[in-house]
Amino acid sequence: MNRTDQLPRLLPGTAAGPLTLDEHLARYGPVPLRPAGDLIAEVSAAGLTGRGGAAFPAGTKLAAVAAAAAAATRPGPGQRRRTTAAVIVANGVESEPGSDKDAVLLARSPHLVLDGIAVAARATGAGRAWLCLPADQPWLAGSLREAIAARAWAGASPVPVQVQEVPGGYLVSQENALVSWLSGGPQQPSFVPPRPSDQGVNGRPTLVQNTETLAHLALIARYGAAWFRAVGVPPEAGSALVTVTGAVPHPGVLEIPLGIPLGAVLALAGLHPAGRGPAGPPPPQAVLAGGYLGGWLAWPDAAGVPVSAAGLRRAGAALGPGTLAVLPASACGLAQTARILAYLSSHRAGQCGPCTHGLPALAEAFGQIAFARPHPDTIAWAGQLTGLLPRRGACYLPDGGAGLAVSALRVFAKDLRWHAGHGPCPAATAQAAQDARAAR
Amino acid sequence: MSDWLRVNPIACEAHGVCAELLPELITLDPWGYPIVAPGPVPPPLLGHARRAVAACPTLALLLRREDDATG
Amino acid sequence: MTAALTGSAAQAAASAIVVTSKTWLWYVTRSTGLIALILLTATMALGLLGGVRWQRPGWPRFVTSGLHRNVSALACTLVVVHIATTLAEGFVPIHIQDAVLPFGSAYRPLWLGLGAASFDLMLVLIVTSMARTRLSYRAWRALHWTAYLCWPAAVAHGLGIGTDTAVRWVLLLTVACIAVIAGLLGWRLAYAWPR
Repeated sequence: MNRTDQLPRLLPGTAAGPLTLDEHLARYGPVPLRPAGDLIAEVSAAGLTGRGGAAFPAGTKLAAVAAAAAAATRPGPGQRRRTTAAVIVANGVESEPGSDKDAVLLARSPHLVLDGIAVAARATGAGRAWLCLPADQPWLAGSLREAIAARAWAGASPVPVQVQEVPGGYLVSQENALVSWLSGGPQQPSFVPPRPSDQGVNGRPTLVQNTETLAHLALIARYGAAWFRAVGVPPEAGSALVTVTGAVPHPGVLEIPLGIPLGAVLALAGLHPAGRGPAGPPPPQAVLAGGYLGGWLAWPDAAGVPVSAAGLRRAGAALGPGTLAVLPASACGLAQTARILAYLSSHRAGQCGPCTHGLPALAEAFGQIAFARPHPDTIAWAGQLTGLLPRRGACYLPDGGAGLAVSALRVFAKDLRWHAGHGPCPAATAQAAQDARAAR
Repeated sequence: MSDWLRVNPIACEAHGVCAELLPELITLDPWGYPIVAPGPVPPPLLGHARRAVAACPTLALLLRREDDATG
Repeated sequence: MTAALTGSAAQAAASAIVVTSKTWLWYVTRSTGLIALILLTATMALGLLGGVRWQRPGWPRFVTSGLHRNVSALACTLVVVHIATTLAEGFVPIHIQDAVLPFGSAYRPLWLGLGAASFDLMLVLIVTSMARTRLSYRAWRALHWTAYLCWPAAVAHGLGIGTDTAVRWVLLLTVACIAVIAGLLGWRLAYAWPR
């Protein structure tokens, strides 16, 4: 492996199927055996954050699980000693529509993710692991099971890894919902505390980590924190996988240094903000960054926004699972927002009052805004709802929906004024007709 | 470290007893669910806060000692 | 000199009997039993009102829940007095264990047993509610449903034990209590049904 600070790190050069164990070891070398404390310190020094959406510091999570596991194995008075208390959950479920990065990573570099699981297990003293995959991609599960078998055969599997195909909707890849399902319960988020790091699957300290995060972990264990930080625009560190979709010439999964401008990322997908030929298509009007729970950015105004959790949050969007969906000029941003809010609303767990009532109300209001001629009261009500949703549910769904709506009202303000004066624009009407046809 | 009021949104069933007993810190949204004022509980209101916590029919209102960094 | 104090004939006869030193205990037993029935009915009623989330501008929800708690404590206290005076009076052959172990007494085992069962459930309801924070909400709620056994058992005990059932106003009072709870229960079920 080219050990200089160059990309690609996670994705091998070609798209020709998964690296075998031998190819993987030839490219990356073996994982050194290091004490748990060293590993955790290295990960913390590297500044690795979760790549599943919440961007929580990975070192902090590892330390929390390790501490909880140590406390669990230290017997209290009159208690039996429990060994290997912790468990690892590798979250590759990727329920965000428009995100492909975990599937691509698992398809091309399964052994990197499996290494990451082994490293995490060593750092936390875990005795078993689940690799959770979406149930609608059985080929992926098959490929991973083969990779696991190959490792077991080569004696490279200290911790048993069980592939778990997870059915379900949008919320299923949320941390607590996944832990609940693995424990035999419903796919529903739960109230924290207790966090999964203290009490997760079947009550055990559980490390839930996105598969891409685990892949980075596997490389940090080999090459160290300084190597990890060699890529990325300070203060951001490391590389990340992003999925670029929509009105770009070359959509797909890319590995980028964190912190580079949005324009640079979309240029990698073939989109250039400046200049188009006289016969070329009009430039896109906006980018949805961070998925359905992220936010809109105006294009090309936002070309300079750094692609990182902090940079995108400052701009009113989010990094989330690294999705960048480019909205063509021919579409209506308000209509797309209304459709996304309707989707989110239909996928809510229905456990928390503010979200159960507020999210459908917001979706309804945006439906009026996008597909009818909205009254000023409706627009005001939508704004009021975006203030009533954040931090009032057990998961991030209401927060994300509110954030999306706020960014839409800001970025598509001109369209909002037009809709209020004239009713739905042609693009919105066309989208509504298309949806009606699809529903039939 | 101070005392923070937290609502377990899954347990909450919008009885609204908390807002009656602690109107200084808790108001109700259009559907009857509590909106808690941000920040720790001011010490003069701690007694009322404890009473509100005890009065919640579903034990959804919680008083927790937390770091001031949370919020 | 004692007499079998049952029925309205006994009421008439009582006025002709010399009041013994123990008769006041018997009156206390009967009166505390009746008042406990009223208070127990009030407790049930307040609980049901809480369930339908009833409130008025001058009667906030916390008044309903606070009264429910306090009235239940008062009711339990009166039941304890009711039991104590019955045992102290000694007229009926009841032992202390019959107060908590149902259906084992020599005197009217069924009706007395219902009273004992009701008292047991009352203790469970009160103790589990005092220790609410130590139970899971679901466990507490499931146990609290035994109120729907506790109250009818108390009413049945009052009717069946026969002490004052023949007295018209006592009977009307009991019927009124049953009517109030039946009405509120209907309201409570209707409230929960559409869901």
